[in-house]
Amino acid sequence: MVRTKKSQPRAEEPAPRASPRKRGRDEPEEPTEGTPSRRRSSGRTGAGAGSRTNGRANGSRSEYDFPSDEEVHASNSAMEDTGTPRKRKRQPATATATPRKDDAEAATPRGREGKGNVTVTPSKPNGTAVNGETPRWKRNDRSARKKSARALIEKVVAGESSDEEADEDIAREIYESSEEEEAEDGDDEEQQQHQEEGEEGPLNEAATPSKKPRGGRTKTTNKKTTRRKKSPTPPRDLPPHEQYFAQNRPGTSQKTSNNTLASLQLQLLTHDEYFAVLRDWADPHADDVAFLQAIHGESFPQWAFELAQGFGICLYGYGSKRALLHRFARHIYDLHTAAAAAADHCDGYGNGGNGGNTMKVVIVNGYVRTASLREILGTVASAVDPGYKLPAGGPSAVLDSVKNLLSSHEVMITVVLNSIDAAPLRKPGIQPILAQLAAHPQIQLICSADTPDFTLLWDSSLRSSFNFLFHDCTTFAPYEAELDVVDDVHELLGRKARRVGGKEGVTYVLRSLPENAKNLFRLLVGEVLVLMDDDGGSSGENPGVEYRAMYQKAEQEFICSSEMAFRTLLKEFHDHQMITSRRDVMGTELLSVPFRKEELEAILEDLMS
Amino acid sequence: MAVDEPLGEAYEEKQHQAAYIFDPSDAVDDGTRPAKRRRVSKKLKKSEAHTVASTSVYPRLFDGAESERCAHIRQQLFEHTWSKIESRIQRILREANQSTLRQVTSFLQAAPDHAPVGKIPSAFIITGPNIASQDLLFEQLAETLQLQADASVVRLRSGDASNLKAILKKMIHDAVAKVTDDEENDLEVAVSKDGRRFLNYDLEALHTHLKSSPRRHVVIAFQDSEAFESGLLSDLISLLSSWLDRIPFALLFGVATSVELFEARLLKSTCQCLYGRQFDVEQSATIVAKVFKAAVAHSEAPLRLGPNLVSSLLERQRDQVASIPVFVSSLKYAYMCHFYANPLTVLFSEELDEDALHGENLEALRCLPSFRHSVEMAVKEGDIQRARLLLEDDRYLTTYLRDRLEHFRHWAVKFLRILKIITINNSSSAGLADMYLDSLLRGVNLSDQDAEIGESIKRMQPSDSILFLTRLLDVIDNGDPSLGLDAGAGDTEEAVMELSDILADIKRLHQENEEEGKVLRSKYSGQSKIVRTTVVAQKVQLSRDTAALTDNDKLYTDLMDRVLEQLRIVLRVEGAEDLVFNEIWLYDSKALYKDVFIPRPRGVGERALSRPHDYLGCSCCRSREDQVMPTFPTTAVLYQLYLETGSLINVADLWSAYYAIVGEDNEGGLDERTALVLFYRAMAELRVMGFVKQSRKKADHVAKLAWKGL
Repeated sequence: MVRTKKSQPRAEEPAPRASPRKRGRDEPEEPTEGTPSRRRSSGRTGAGAGSRTNGRANGSRSEYDFPSDEEVHASNSAMEDTGTPRKRKRQPATATATPRKDDAEAATPRGREGKGNVTVTPSKPNGTAVNGETPRWKRNDRSARKKSARALIEKVVAGESSDEEADEDIAREIYESSEEEEAEDGDDEEQQQHQEEGEEGPLNEAATPSKKPRGGRTKTTNKKTTRRKKSPTPPRDLPPHEQYFAQNRPGTSQKTSNNTLASLQLQLLTHDEYFAVLRDWADPHADDVAFLQAIHGESFPQWAFELAQGFGICLYGYGSKRALLHRFARHIYDLHTAAAAAADHCDGYGNGGNGGNTMKVVIVNGYVRTASLREILGTVASAVDPGYKLPAGGPSAVLDSVKNLLSSHEVMITVVLNSIDAAPLRKPGIQPILAQLAAHPQIQLICSADTPDFTLLWDSSLRSSFNFLFHDCTTFAPYEAELDVVDDVHELLGRKARRVGGKEGVTYVLRSLPENAKNLFRLLVGEVLVLMDDDGGSSGENPGVEYRAMYQKAEQEFICSSEMAFRTLLKEFHDHQMITSRRDVMGTELLSVPFRKEELEAILEDLMS
Repeated sequence: MAVDEPLGEAYEEKQHQAAYIFDPSDAVDDGTRPAKRRRVSKKLKKSEAHTVASTSVYPRLFDGAESERCAHIRQQLFEHTWSKIESRIQRILREANQSTLRQVTSFLQAAPDHAPVGKIPSAFIITGPNIASQDLLFEQLAETLQLQADASVVRLRSGDASNLKAILKKMIHDAVAKVTDDEENDLEVAVSKDGRRFLNYDLEALHTHLKSSPRRHVVIAFQDSEAFESGLLSDLISLLSSWLDRIPFALLFGVATSVELFEARLLKSTCQCLYGRQFDVEQSATIVAKVFKAAVAHSEAPLRLGPNLVSSLLERQRDQVASIPVFVSSLKYAYMCHFYANPLTVLFSEELDEDALHGENLEALRCLPSFRHSVEMAVKEGDIQRARLLLEDDRYLTTYLRDRLEHFRHWAVKFLRILKIITINNSSSAGLADMYLDSLLRGVNLSDQDAEIGESIKRMQPSDSILFLTRLLDVIDNGDPSLGLDAGAGDTEEAVMELSDILADIKRLHQENEEEGKVLRSKYSGQSKIVRTTVVAQKVQLSRDTAALTDNDKLYTDLMDRVLEQLRIVLRVEGAEDLVFNEIWLYDSKALYKDVFIPRPRGVGERALSRPHDYLGCSCCRSREDQVMPTFPTTAVLYQLYLETGSLINVADLWSAYYAIVGEDNEGGLDERTALVLFYRAMAELRVMGFVKQSRKKADHVAKLAWKGL
């Protein structure tokens, strides 16, 4: 048994390149990140690595400006284009890495001007250069590899017994891992070349979706597995959880290209343009969407029955369900006016008067940013009795009074709630109140939910208060009222949307504030930048500085002498939305600034000068 | 947009209003609306004509061919049957808490006598994780304490108040308001004797109020004590204890974990203010078993719920600690589905009038698989005449149907009785549920499938068998009210007589043997074989011997054989699926229940986005697995690309990838600005659905938040 085992490494030696390796083995990260950039920067500008980051920050700063409705933004990506591309032959890399390269090359997008760069072909072999540039650690590793290879061979030859198997394993591991590095070495070269190509046009990297029209693409698992360590795109057939961990392993550098929308010469949309274009566009699926709605519409009587039986209804699935719910509201309304008419012929239409079993429909739009419990409860109350005045006090007090009001009137209220999981209704304390309202026998609640994870909003107690029945209502209808598309996207991209206008805005505000306010802001920005450099954590928000620590720093710098004064200064910033404050899991207050790193650097520079 | 257009102006106007009252009468109606409304109202008027306005109406089935009356009967039947079941369930739920209620009340009543001075009497009620039914428990507690212990009860939930002031406000408000419920009450609270106004969180106000309307206790109930912030709770308790000499406070804590854990969260000094006792609540498993008996197995429940459905309900109850209200609603939903969508449920009605038996219903009856099977059996048996009558003669079919339904009622009772007998030996009612689920469809037959039960009866010791037979006869004589079983043996009268004779004989034999000091046994009982150890020539020999049976033993063996024989007659019933017309009263569909109570929104969303064709049904988007078509809705295209990315996404690259798919280079592609508009919209949708969020790591990058299939 020992013998056969030992002969394996030899026999399988070529295999690891092609076959999936054991996952999860970590290797030093430094090489993959450090090497290419170092080489490139020296090759291109001859300046130190430090100046590179600076240069880039400066160069790209202006790209982040937000196009105003009139201004046409001129991209200055030209600056990046000036670098001399250095042609370098691809490392005669592992056979398996090659197809990927070809793939990527073929898929490399070109500017719309049609200037292709497929033609960039390796011209000069420079295998020796690699050796010369190989840093020390790599050479060390190489020798370790040689040693371990020798050890393996010796063992096979000598046929030693199994007590040294552990050593052998280590040796084999070293052997294999360095082999992998070699493969990666090739990748590094490749990467570098990519980046050089990238200076001529946008490049295509592993993390970005492939651009080729799909269909003819065959799955080449080989290339994926060889590159797995580096490529954030794991093989496609991984089970979901594996994929998650593969992409979120700590230390995996997220390799994405440095393209920006500005470098694509893409002008961002303005509100006017968005709506103008949208108006002219005809959805090819409009008929199908309407058909889907009609199908859902057929369940209206069933829903009405379910509501009448004391259940709540929650509609979920992709697409806006607002129009559908509106039609349902109409259905319910018609149903009851008709029923009322049938009940008392003489009275004609039930006019929602006092007495009698009347029915009102209240529509709540949860996605409206200003939606508040008070407004919702107030509307319900006014549906019962238009002259009713809500009592002052917290939500639970208001709820109690509304419930009392309901109990004293013979009226059914159907609450049609759009987007129960919208941000305004996700604030703490709102769902329990809604649940209690829904649990009232005279309230029928039908709501829609847009996010796929909405069920997490409720614990079992709330669930049983809501008493929900869930229906899949995928409509594919566009979210129109629910979204403020242009602002949302710009916020997503970090373009200023609703706050002070970036750097200029901040300087403007600071200009009108006293000296110590400026100092405090400079201090805060500095701290946040330091934290940003340290952690680089995966959270989308900027890292925050602890409130306490910040105060102490401010005290030491003689910016303020009391917490009161400190608070006052912060308040000013808050009013201009120049800082954010949140609490972490432990409940400590964290202060931060809602700007991107580049902006922060610019602001800091400005403040220092 | 196109979809929204016919929806009237008010709809568009009010879309950015957070809440408003829906009133289409002030909106301008366009062409399509009034037509629809007229149709609905006409239909309604007719059906509502003979009843008071009931809020919902069943649709007419058979494509509308069903008569109004039938639909109406079905609805009434549903309301009638379910209300009976629901009242039984409610009774069980209320009774379940009775013992806890009594204990807590007596504790609080006696507390002033034996509680040490300066300590607040407190009851810790271990509710377990079933927080959903806590509400009922505390509601009952409040009622009982108010009535029996002369207390005013304030119920607090963690959500109600986040700080001491708010809690005090609510406490005082509730305690004062509960008693009087008048408007002048507010005045009374607000002003003290010397005309000074109290702050609304000043306990002095409560004190003054109690002077005017004295109470023995002011009970503060913390429903979910663990959810309260521990510091807050400590503060409140020490504050209350300082008022204890003026206001007779008592506390109730609902504890989901254990008292020790709860105590660990409080300050030591706070704990010393409490004088407490622990009370247990009946565990949800036993309550579920009781509800099962009353709602599913009960003889008056018209619908037999099949094992598929019920076992998945019970399983969910066990595995996910779903609350009892959910269990009850699931049962209700099963009833709703059956009566709403099965036109034959009209036949449940007591007086089967001719209306119910009109053409379509009879036609549907003839289509039932169980009916067809029975006709085929008739043909096979050579009873062609009957088969022909069944198929052709409506009148004959009607009589047959009545007969079968009558038979079903007998069967249901018999089935329950047998279940009860079989489960005599294991006292837990959970056993009944399992047995029910096991044998509902295939029936009970001691000679084949359930031979094991027979064996175990056969092996019984005399004392056991006496007990068993006594209980058996007791069940037959008295029935079981919790299952709705009446007394009476039904069609097995003779067997029962025989069994009681046997019981008498066994008793006599047992008596005799006991007098002689011997053990009565049968040849089946375990000890009939004994192992003898003999030492022969220093070797141990083991030999098995059948112990000699005495005459009495032989008699007993005979008796046990006869018992089994009789039981085989008594305990024999066919399965539900073997009965003709079982489709009318058997409901066993799990799919609907799962869809409606256990949604998979993630899966649905992912499916919609990765295979939009499944929903849209259009010709252009039919795709193979994981393939993107340029005709996909924009969000679906982006979603596919999104799936390929790592945890950080470069929007610029995403855009170029997207544009490469839909852009002008392709056939019928979009121009850049239109594509960008759609791209924007899709990005915003991805964001609102929680797939991406802003990332500040790099320019124009967003972070990925969802992984498919997780």
